[in-house]
Amino acid sequence: MIFNPIDIILSFVLLSVLFSFGTDRVLILIKLLAFQGIVISILPFFIGHDMSTGSTVFTLATLIIRGIIIPLSIFVAIRKGAIQRVVEPIVGYHASILCGLVVIIGATYISGRLDIGSVSGFKLLEPTAIALLVTGMFLLMARRNAIAMVIGYIMMENGIYLVGSGLSVGTRHIVEFGILLDVLAGVMIMAVILRNIKKTFDDVDTALLRTLKD
Amino acid sequence: MVEIVFLTPLITGLVAFFLPKSIGRFLLVLTGAAHLTLSFMLWKDQPQALFDQYFAVSPEGMLSLLVISLLFFLISIYTVGYLKESEIQAEGLFTGSMLVFLSTMTMVTLSDHIMVMWIAIEATTLASAPLIYTHRSAASLEATWKYVLICSVGIAMALLGSVLVAFSMGQANAGTPLSFSALAGAAKALDPMWLKAGFVFILVGYGTKMGLAPMHTWLPDAHSEAPSPASALLSGVLLNCAFLGIFKTNKIMVAAGLEDFSGGILMVFGLLSIIAAATFILKQNEYKRMLAYSSIENMGIIAFGTGVGGLGVYGAVICMLHHSLIKSSLFLSSGNILLGYGDRMIKNTGNLVKVMPRTFVVFFAGFVGIAGFPPFGIFIGELCIIVAAFRAGFHVAVTVFILSLCVIFAGFANQIMKISFDECNTEIKIKEKAGMVWPQYLLLLTSLILCFFIPDSLNQTISDAVIAIGGGLR
Repeated sequence: MIFNPIDIILSFVLLSVLFSFGTDRVLILIKLLAFQGIVISILPFFIGHDMSTGSTVFTLATLIIRGIIIPLSIFVAIRKGAIQRVVEPIVGYHASILCGLVVIIGATYISGRLDIGSVSGFKLLEPTAIALLVTGMFLLMARRNAIAMVIGYIMMENGIYLVGSGLSVGTRHIVEFGILLDVLAGVMIMAVILRNIKKTFDDVDTALLRTLKD
Repeated sequence: MVEIVFLTPLITGLVAFFLPKSIGRFLLVLTGAAHLTLSFMLWKDQPQALFDQYFAVSPEGMLSLLVISLLFFLISIYTVGYLKESEIQAEGLFTGSMLVFLSTMTMVTLSDHIMVMWIAIEATTLASAPLIYTHRSAASLEATWKYVLICSVGIAMALLGSVLVAFSMGQANAGTPLSFSALAGAAKALDPMWLKAGFVFILVGYGTKMGLAPMHTWLPDAHSEAPSPASALLSGVLLNCAFLGIFKTNKIMVAAGLEDFSGGILMVFGLLSIIAAATFILKQNEYKRMLAYSSIENMGIIAFGTGVGGLGVYGAVICMLHHSLIKSSLFLSSGNILLGYGDRMIKNTGNLVKVMPRTFVVFFAGFVGIAGFPPFGIFIGELCIIVAAFRAGFHVAVTVFILSLCVIFAGFANQIMKISFDECNTEIKIKEKAGMVWPQYLLLLTSLILCFFIPDSLNQTISDAVIAIGGGLR
């Protein structure tokens, strides 16, 4: 049964995951990131707990930060530095898409095996979370473009957030907000570093960042 | 009120961003002194926190806090001299970040909530990133990039681990506070599978930040590119903060009866780190990187000792204390050497004994201490760990442990001899001012005193810390 709204929008997220494996443009990755950010932040509205004023405000704040501010800050970093916009793959695009398929199937299989009772209503929640996590890691490892790596990190974070909300871990909003602020500050700092990398090396290829080693 | 200890440096740090140089330096030392006083008061009174769901005074946290406070105060005095000698652009950013960094590390030591702990540790990464980029060079940019990215990704793993630990409480307990003390208290009721998975992710995550191999790759770069006072802080106390996260989670594991599982993994990562340090220290040609690898070694020793359990945990905590004191002293001395010779390569230094005699004495004594010679505390700590490992029957592991220590000693000694006694005609660029030498002496002296005389109250704090994970002097 795939009729409930959560599973439908999550299936779009899964598609976007596949898309981010195959794309060669940083700009598209940022758009995908924004889409994923928006979808995972509005999930609490659907999961069906009673929404108090506090949780509504918090969910909206998450939406603004994950869906708008974070992607935008990377976009601004690109614009200001006029950073080159191709992702410079270590693993080719076709192989990447194949990896993406394997990831999605693997994620579905694993979450089927894990048998998490709490969210049995939503079949796609854990697979999506795991897929986002692994996709983030894939982008970190298989792309040499520094921007793509930062995007990979944020996707990973999104995945972890989805795991957290899926398992409905009972943390307070103030704590979750602290986590969100940390992530935001981290992305801001990474954006600053990106701009400096562009300024210093005239490129964002991390192959240039390999002078320090033993 | 516990929170004031980390709020004070946070506020002064934010102010320091906008202050002119001279006032900023003064504020740095002043905050260091205030922080030291506050920490001692906290240790004496052990008050309740205002937000007691999130913050609490724990023995292991208190121990780290005292080390952080003492180190920061002495390092801040050194920093004033260092800033006068070296040219740093945007000094306000540097002093401000130092203070905010102090605040975030203090928050780590005081946090009792598993998520707040994560927030604080991630905040230490963010606050220390500008410190590494202080020199604005291409190499320091690369180091900062690696540091922020690798540590953030690593710590994200720890967040996943924390979520899994929280999930192990099960649906029935949802809504109970996720404090370390509550989790350890209810450990038997936790789902062991999720708890194990959570521990592995937390160990990998905070282990990245602690510098455990094979996730250590950022550490030598960051520690060698940062200005020396910042390196001293990174190596002396930041690594301990990350270890604290692992230590506290291990407490839950022990309380849940899973100490064999967690101990085994800790020992593997510990040994890997020691072996990695041994391979890279042998042919190291930069002295700050050499010190960084020595930190990786010591973190490995600490993880190994914690994994062994019993007497080993006691040894690990002793090692942690003394490593902080000695290593920060060494990094400060390396700052003098760097300013004096103007070069990071070992081959361009030499004859330290003649040209900078006061730095030489403290640098060499620091080497003797960190290499594990008696009477310094590292010796006692390592001995405890080795004895405990033999008793527990880990014969192969402890053999590898001892052999690697020997290799590290040989490599380290070789380089130190070159720096100290080799021929060198470089003109020395600075004079050894008192403020840039005696903090190192004081750090070493503290370490030396603690080997012969541990105040009863401190001893009590140490045994309180180790007893929770089945350790003790037996």
